[in-house]
Amino acid sequence: MSEMNYERFEDLKDAYVLGALPEEERLSFEDYLAAHPERQAEVDELGAVAGLLAFSPQEQEPSPELRNRVMEVVEAEAEPRRVRSRSTFARVGDYLSIRNLALGAAALLVIGLLSWNVMLQGQVQDLQGRVQDAQGQIQDLQGELEVAQAQQSQTIKLKGSWAEQGAIAEVASMPKHQIILVARNMPSVPEDKTCQIWVIKGDVPKSSGLFQPDGNGTATPITNSITKADAIAVTVERAGGSKKPTSAPVLLAEL
Amino acid sequence: MPERGRQYLILADEDLISLVEAADAEAFATLYDRHSRAAFSLAYRMMGERQASEDLTQDAFLKVWRGASSYRAERGSVRTWILSIVHNRGIDQIRSQASRRRTQEKIEASAPRSQPSEAFAETLKNSQRDQVREALDTLPPEQLKVLELAYFSGYTHVEISDLLRLPLGTVKGRMRLGLKKIRDYFESRDAAVPR
Repeated sequence: MSEMNYERFEDLKDAYVLGALPEEERLSFEDYLAAHPERQAEVDELGAVAGLLAFSPQEQEPSPELRNRVMEVVEAEAEPRRVRSRSTFARVGDYLSIRNLALGAAALLVIGLLSWNVMLQGQVQDLQGRVQDAQGQIQDLQGELEVAQAQQSQTIKLKGSWAEQGAIAEVASMPKHQIILVARNMPSVPEDKTCQIWVIKGDVPKSSGLFQPDGNGTATPITNSITKADAIAVTVERAGGSKKPTSAPVLLAEL
Repeated sequence: MPERGRQYLILADEDLISLVEAADAEAFATLYDRHSRAAFSLAYRMMGERQASEDLTQDAFLKVWRGASSYRAERGSVRTWILSIVHNRGIDQIRSQASRRRTQEKIEASAPRSQPSEAFAETLKNSQRDQVREALDTLPPEQLKVLELAYFSGYTHVEISDLLRLPLGTVKGRMRLGLKKIRDYFESRDAAVPR
């Protein structure tokens, strides 16, 4: 086999990102890459192009038994590690900036409503009953918002293409500095898409929550502080969210 | 779903992977639910039958569970990372099998390929998948075949050269041109290659 050098690296990089190098050649390529880290970005970029092939196969549904098998192993292994970890709830609380567990009834209701609405996505059989329930909770939520407003909390209305289509979205600051995005009449998005909230300071958008609109109503905690932020935006992103916005905002409020 | 578990649904993948790193099983379950279908679809495309595909998917997700700390956000999205694990382990498994699906592949490789557009005509909900398929649709069949044999079937460039009875340089050239064409597809639309 020829010694790895610049020309050979160039010659083999496409086969490398496709996984098409024999073991020995792959190791030689990776040794060269380790010695020339300045070329890593180029390989990563090419690897991203090759990685797109992973998205092309026709969709297949894994069996529920597979999930059970995987989770059985995961839960068995999690236990010993949990002993050394902080409680899960506390950690999630950190992410949601919930420092005080004794949140007011309004904030708890908001989380409950969010849960209902996300659950609705996957449980078609219960749809009718859950929609009625969600609508009831939205009314409750509106009541809570009115209370919050009466307590001089602030709400900010979002504008944008979805607002022009009839969507109503507001950012509301609740007691204890909890910020939520409340939205109604939102267009639905495909199941492989999600709405992502961004808190923008300068030119830097920070991911601040995901939600799945269903046309009835959603309430989503905003997970980053909006103090000193310039804007709040909502974009439609792939399921699971994106690191950066990949589409134009459908809702936007300048602060 | 437990009340606590519902809170994970609003977290982005990058946040979930941090929780998985700290042995949070519910965060892992959320990631699994988001990405298992794409992972299994890729596994099925590579392995060609359900049981082997489920084994590969299980193997890959357990690697995600045990190796979450090796995820690097600057290298790509969590989804791409998970799929790359499926792909790499799939290639390892294919190559370690004594009898691979080579006979069938050989027949397919030698037969005239149907119009790529027919293969990709099915309407799918996933717009990213649609975009990728559209990009692949722009490739000449001979370039697409080389990419597929390498990526999904685990053939090395030398094996593809033997299989298709082509000079090794031609195989490498088709790989290079095929990847370039996919990248050009996105650039011509002012879109970044999804990562």
